[in-house]
Amino acid sequence: MNRGLLKLAVVGSRSSYGRLTGITGGVAVGVCLLLLLWGGANGLNARDDRGAWLRETGSPSVSIPTTAGDPTASGPATPVPLTAATVLMRANPVEVFRDQLINRRDFAALGSTTVKIPGIASPPAPGEYYASPALQHLIETTPQDQLGDRFGQFVGTIGEAALPGPDSLIVVTGATETELRQSGHAFLVSAFTTNPYGASAAAYSTVLLIGAIAVFFPVLLLISIVTGLGAAQRRERFATLRLIGASPRTISRIAAVETAVPSLIGAVFGVVLAAVLRPATAQITVNGTRMFEADLATGWEAATAVVVLVVTASSLVAAYRTSREGIGPLGVTRAMQERTPNAWRMVPLLAGLAAMITAVLLIRVLEVRVPWLESPLLIGGFALTLVGIVVVGPWLTQLVSRMGLRQARSAAAVIAASRIQRTPVATFRSVSGLVIAVFVVSVFAGASSIIQEAEAPAARPGLLQPASLHATVAAGSSQDQVAEAARRAGQLPGIRSATIGYGPAALNQRDAGPEIFLRAEDAPGLGFEDIPETEIVAVDSSFLHYWTTQPLVLTRAPAQNLDGLVPVVIVVAADGTPEAMDRARTALDGSGVTAIPATSPLDIKLQSSARLVQGLAVLAYLGMFVAIAIAGLSLAVATASAVLDRKRVLGLMRLMGMPVSVLRRIITREAAVPLLTVLLLSIALGFLVAWLMVTGINDTYRVTWPATDYFAALGLSLVLALAAVGSTFSLIRAGTAITATRFE
Amino acid sequence: MSTIDTRSPILSARGVRHSFGQTEALRGIDLDVHPGEVLAVMGPSGSGKSTLLHCLAGVLVPTRGSVTYGPSAGRQPVEISALSEPKRARLRLTDFGFVFQFGQLLPELSAVDNVSIPMLLGGTKRSEARRRSADMLDRLGLEGLGAKLPGELSGGQAQRVAVARALVTSPAVLFADEPTGSLDSLGSENVLTIMLELVREFGTTVVMITHDARTAAYADREVIVRDGVIGAGYRVSP
Repeated sequence: MNRGLLKLAVVGSRSSYGRLTGITGGVAVGVCLLLLLWGGANGLNARDDRGAWLRETGSPSVSIPTTAGDPTASGPATPVPLTAATVLMRANPVEVFRDQLINRRDFAALGSTTVKIPGIASPPAPGEYYASPALQHLIETTPQDQLGDRFGQFVGTIGEAALPGPDSLIVVTGATETELRQSGHAFLVSAFTTNPYGASAAAYSTVLLIGAIAVFFPVLLLISIVTGLGAAQRRERFATLRLIGASPRTISRIAAVETAVPSLIGAVFGVVLAAVLRPATAQITVNGTRMFEADLATGWEAATAVVVLVVTASSLVAAYRTSREGIGPLGVTRAMQERTPNAWRMVPLLAGLAAMITAVLLIRVLEVRVPWLESPLLIGGFALTLVGIVVVGPWLTQLVSRMGLRQARSAAAVIAASRIQRTPVATFRSVSGLVIAVFVVSVFAGASSIIQEAEAPAARPGLLQPASLHATVAAGSSQDQVAEAARRAGQLPGIRSATIGYGPAALNQRDAGPEIFLRAEDAPGLGFEDIPETEIVAVDSSFLHYWTTQPLVLTRAPAQNLDGLVPVVIVVAADGTPEAMDRARTALDGSGVTAIPATSPLDIKLQSSARLVQGLAVLAYLGMFVAIAIAGLSLAVATASAVLDRKRVLGLMRLMGMPVSVLRRIITREAAVPLLTVLLLSIALGFLVAWLMVTGINDTYRVTWPATDYFAALGLSLVLALAAVGSTFSLIRAGTAITATRFE
Repeated sequence: MSTIDTRSPILSARGVRHSFGQTEALRGIDLDVHPGEVLAVMGPSGSGKSTLLHCLAGVLVPTRGSVTYGPSAGRQPVEISALSEPKRARLRLTDFGFVFQFGQLLPELSAVDNVSIPMLLGGTKRSEARRRSADMLDRLGLEGLGAKLPGELSGGQAQRVAVARALVTSPAVLFADEPTGSLDSLGSENVLTIMLELVREFGTTVVMITHDARTAAYADREVIVRDGVIGAGYRVSP
């Protein structure tokens, strides 16, 4: 093809510059977001990989021989010796400071150990600890009696290679072998795992993939919308070229090249923009920590792939669209009438929902686990539902506009409703990004609403009080040590009582009985009201479980003394202030008599069982922001495009006396009708899909009303839609000005 | 047949000049258009015909000079060139009608809805607007085509829809910019005959730009614009 002709066709007219600049800018934003999202997904994976070692539970530190002939009967436990090839590790379920979880790992190792603990040079000696930089900073800026005293002597920081993110709170403490064995929760570890998710890997990947699809979709839509910018203007120019002898093939090639050039410039600019914005993006906190900047890097291979893909796809689509339009020497020879949408457009949406429902039926009702089928059904179902909303939107929009046209009274209503009815696909496309954003937001809000449920129970007599802490006592601790620990804890500011519970053996031992015994005089401190008039009372040991919801009653203990019993638990009642709670935790954890760190019913919100969903919630809000912002941009571009495409006819209407305000109302209605039509459907489907997803990932959660953030996000969507349409008002005035019309 | 019209002009241009940047399109135009008159404005391309029409219709404000609109008795003459854009837009909507060469119909609206738009903008009820639009389409020989989209009509039919839209509000002045420029001679004659028949019936004044001497022959009078000024003389058509 002649290079001069191509140059003339691509940048031949001054009016082309605006369109080309629009395409360049839109593609730049789209590519930048694609790369940042890609980097974000990589970063999350890298982060999880680095934190995988924290999941390690190792092999049992004791061996329990089974009796021959009776596999259910077992003999006494014998310790598995600690060797140079292993370290003894205790993974604490909960170490809490304020409302933050601290990952604490206690280690005992022989001096000759060959096991490498990630992030540190050698295992800490008893009484020493290594901390992540963020935790050490927290320790240094907090009174010692609230945090630092829990860990001992600081000997160094944990390297970045073992930290998920710069804000990760991780501590590796040294302990004696005896201490760890007494806790009953120690394991022998010879090598640390690199699998960050273990059994929940499939579920986690499913959630990540669904999130990725949900966020990438609006980005792709944005790129698709911007590359179609000024299509009508382009058609006229192509008709002129056809008139002077260009073949349809030449026209298609010009269309491809003229889209490729700004797309390429935009894509390269997007890559640069992504690199520039990476440090700022790394500052976003996901799951309690920011990211390392390096984690967000996608590498030049990915950047090149995105550039090539975007440029190729947009060029091919432009060439295809042009060839389909049948542009002849006298303009568009085939009237590009849209095919009337019909009810068949429901099919992808219904298929998507059917796939997800099938997955849930398999898992929940039939209780058949088919892992190779579940994820494809859930992911495929979600993608189909997403596409289904975009496909069904024009049909619903047309149904509504048909009713609207019958009822229309004003010129703006008639013009807008007629256009929507004749071109439902094109009009819906302009708001599809926002509709998808609302759907995504609803899915995320629905999925994260389950966290709202995991609130601590209210204070009730007969149940562990919310503002209390309890620490189980390690086997072998002496009565005096425990009494001293309780006495010290009870004297701390903000602590109301410190009660010792007794039993036949430590709670982690096999001989531990079903009840806990305590002095009747201590019972009020635990929140009991009906106390038998006796010396020693008993309560079921499920009293210590935060999931116990039915109040328990105190009974008279069979024996009226504590002879033969050992201390098994210390329960501290605090005034509920964070400082008092952390002071008590620190005192108990540092006392040397506890088997595991002290826990509170308030810690339920931080429990690891909700981690996956909590991570999802944080990602959800990120997803919301990205999806809504992109969708708003898409709507602004699509609206501008709709004005530019009708520049002449709208300009002539103005010339005839139509006020600009009527044009504004037309444009606003053209955005509002399809948006509002499908918005309710998006919201309902979003919550349905959230429920299916949450059920599908094999958790016993329940979707409830979303948090206020959701309604704020919905409001933001609508404000953005208004702002997007409003931003084109000046274009309406300028683009349809009489002088513009004269030279069209 | 008239020779010199002594009635007050409905449109009066005095010393009208208009420039687009450095280019002076009109260089001092004096022109009176009388009520009920059909005036053809002729001239070569780039002579300033369309600029003159736009200045007369209040679409453009002359750089210098004035345009005065003096409607029928009972209304004070107004200097269009001194009005604000919203007031000029209102005047164009209520008192003027426009027909252009092409591309003036909203492609997604049926013929009847296209014709209804000026009435809806003026506050007429939709049912009433549709009824009057259908009547006007009938008058223009477009019976049964009201539901058609512009893309489904022939060039002549579409142009008649545009004429119907321009006349449906009974404007005092109809401005037509090459109204038959995109039609063949038969279609052109058809549209002009029917348009002029109606404007004479309504007493509408017409200012019509044309290149075509045959089209100009339908006018009562013609003026020739050349290099931004009206040619040395203008004649009253026989």
